[in-house]
Amino acid sequence: MATKVKEPVAAAAASTNHGSANSDNPLISNEKLKQLYSTMLQCRLLEERARILKKQARFKGNYYAAVGQEATAVGATVNLRSEDTIAPSHRDFISNFIKGVPLTAMFSQLYGRSTSPDKGRSAPAHCGYAPLNIITPSSTIAAQLNIGTGIALANQMKKNDNVVVAFSGEGSTSLGFWHEALNFAGVRNLPIVYICQNNLWAESVSVKLQTKVDDISLKAIGYGFPGITVDGNDVVAVYRVAQEAIERARSGGGPTLIEAKTYRWYGHSEIDPAKYRTAEEVEEWKAKDPIAAMERYLSGKKLFTPDWKQQITDEFTKELDAAIDFAEKAPQPEPIECLDHLYSFDIRDRELNRKTYSPKF
Amino acid sequence: MSATYLEAINAALTEEMRRDPSVFLIGEDIGVFGGAFGATKGLLDEFGADRVIDSPLAEGIIVSAAIGAAMAGLRPVPEIQFVDFITPAMDAITQQAAKLRYRSGGTQTCPITLRVCYGGGTGGGLYHSQTNTTWFAHEPGLIVVAPATVSDAKGMLKASIRQDDPVIYFEHKKLYRWPAIKEDLPAGDDLLADLFHCAIRRPGKDATIVTYGFMLQLALQAAEQLAEENGADIEVIDLRVLNPIDHDTILESVSRTGRLCIVQEDHRTLGIGSEISATVAEQAFDCLDAPIVRVSAPDVPAIPAAEPLEQFYMPNVAKIVDALHRVLQY
Repeated sequence: MATKVKEPVAAAAASTNHGSANSDNPLISNEKLKQLYSTMLQCRLLEERARILKKQARFKGNYYAAVGQEATAVGATVNLRSEDTIAPSHRDFISNFIKGVPLTAMFSQLYGRSTSPDKGRSAPAHCGYAPLNIITPSSTIAAQLNIGTGIALANQMKKNDNVVVAFSGEGSTSLGFWHEALNFAGVRNLPIVYICQNNLWAESVSVKLQTKVDDISLKAIGYGFPGITVDGNDVVAVYRVAQEAIERARSGGGPTLIEAKTYRWYGHSEIDPAKYRTAEEVEEWKAKDPIAAMERYLSGKKLFTPDWKQQITDEFTKELDAAIDFAEKAPQPEPIECLDHLYSFDIRDRELNRKTYSPKF
Repeated sequence: MSATYLEAINAALTEEMRRDPSVFLIGEDIGVFGGAFGATKGLLDEFGADRVIDSPLAEGIIVSAAIGAAMAGLRPVPEIQFVDFITPAMDAITQQAAKLRYRSGGTQTCPITLRVCYGGGTGGGLYHSQTNTTWFAHEPGLIVVAPATVSDAKGMLKASIRQDDPVIYFEHKKLYRWPAIKEDLPAGDDLLADLFHCAIRRPGKDATIVTYGFMLQLALQAAEQLAEENGADIEVIDLRVLNPIDHDTILESVSRTGRLCIVQEDHRTLGIGSEISATVAEQAFDCLDAPIVRVSAPDVPAIPAAEPLEQFYMPNVAKIVDALHRVLQY
């Protein structure tokens, strides 16, 4: 049944690492700790750059930054195999990067270029990538949980040990779809991990208006599988909890609901000034910056230097520059491609109604 | 042995599940119970509970789980017991299944075959009688089929399961055991039906009826009645596929007969008849010798239960004959 662990996970992880700073911890190696940090930093750099490009109107549409939530995204997905599936929401653009999607593809997505994974169709932040099993997101909230649950069903039927990590926000837990997915996963004991990123605000609506419970992980009790609340700004804690859940799913132990309590620094999207939140609340959470926290943690273990951070920043900035340059120079889709990818056969009327087909609309 | 429509569906499922281990079924009451109408009878015994999944009572996850499983390489055949209950799955069908290929630039697909029981005339009332085919035919990205014959019931289901796109397969509950349409069916792949074209069920030269599903039976009866009455020779086209529509076959027929009557069990406004009428008016205006006539259900929210109300609602042979008179006598 549901267990509830709040916050001591990070302390436990830290305490088990107190031995020697130079020797690898049996649970989390020093290299892994450094990877957790560097990946979060890269995600931050990527999204801050995407926000600038959006503000400069270098790409159209909108962007939904997860800045402030990097610990959850990184801790939950950094160890996934390419065969594992990510079911992302609109705020999980960076999950593509963490799983290994080329930056050129991701920036092509932002720019709506023909080189994007979806050839210019979905909204900028709705990046998916079939070769690495990342579902192209839709905007209907919680839908990705249901599809991800179906992929978990297929993995179970095919008797492989691939897992699905499905993201949602706390707002999505108000939808019937969210509950249909979790209920079904419980009934079938499916290999899936649901990560609820509770960032307190669903666009402008407080979590207090979404649910009466304090901890969303409690909802797992009703579906008969473990639910756990974790500090979503503590990457080590998220990593530990997610690894346990992923391992349980891989080994036939069924689903887990992880609630990661976190916070988005900016508005729902780049056009939302987020005036519904107090400045104090934002500052309070910025003080809990997952990246700064990890710097302190690594410093205590003598695994961090400012030079190393600068090196990561410089190298990754070059990669970003190159990817942006690629996307800006990449061709736009041809207008007529609007009619493509409707069915597995070519566009319907061009093939079916050859005598009367006209491409003019 | 002469098979019913229902037996044809059962045979198609059985054959496809034997042929391809990635085919599986999911829906309400389809396992132990064998389906509300018996379409999946015996399949649990042969294929087991992992491939004949009695789902929770939740249409959204029935379709969504099928979409995900299809993305992962399986060939799910989910079932909606009555189309009247399909609305909880509308996001899954219209926003996910229909758009997945498009929104992923052709890189992600979901080859599901969603079996949906529909249709009135059984006294089932508002929520066991609907014909909401238009909702789905309006959605680019879905293939929508409505077999009207026993042979098509089997052949189109087999073809749908092998199709790489999401298919909504509408099966009319009145056809399940309709004795007049029983057919001898060959087993196996000889019966893999065309999923793209109309079929001319009765050739004729004086007027064209376009219809689908159970209405085909009524249209054929009306055509026979007119032939006996005054020797009129009515062509009857079975639409078979509601999306994408095979316009060329219809236009060719109208170009020969000059007169068109469309019969649909769905209600009138923005129905399939509206689309066919518009296309014929746009593409074959010069061929028409009379205004196009539609026979449909009236624009009321759903089919009422009381017999006089239901009879008023449903298209019938007399209404079609009357419409043909108007088309022929213009």
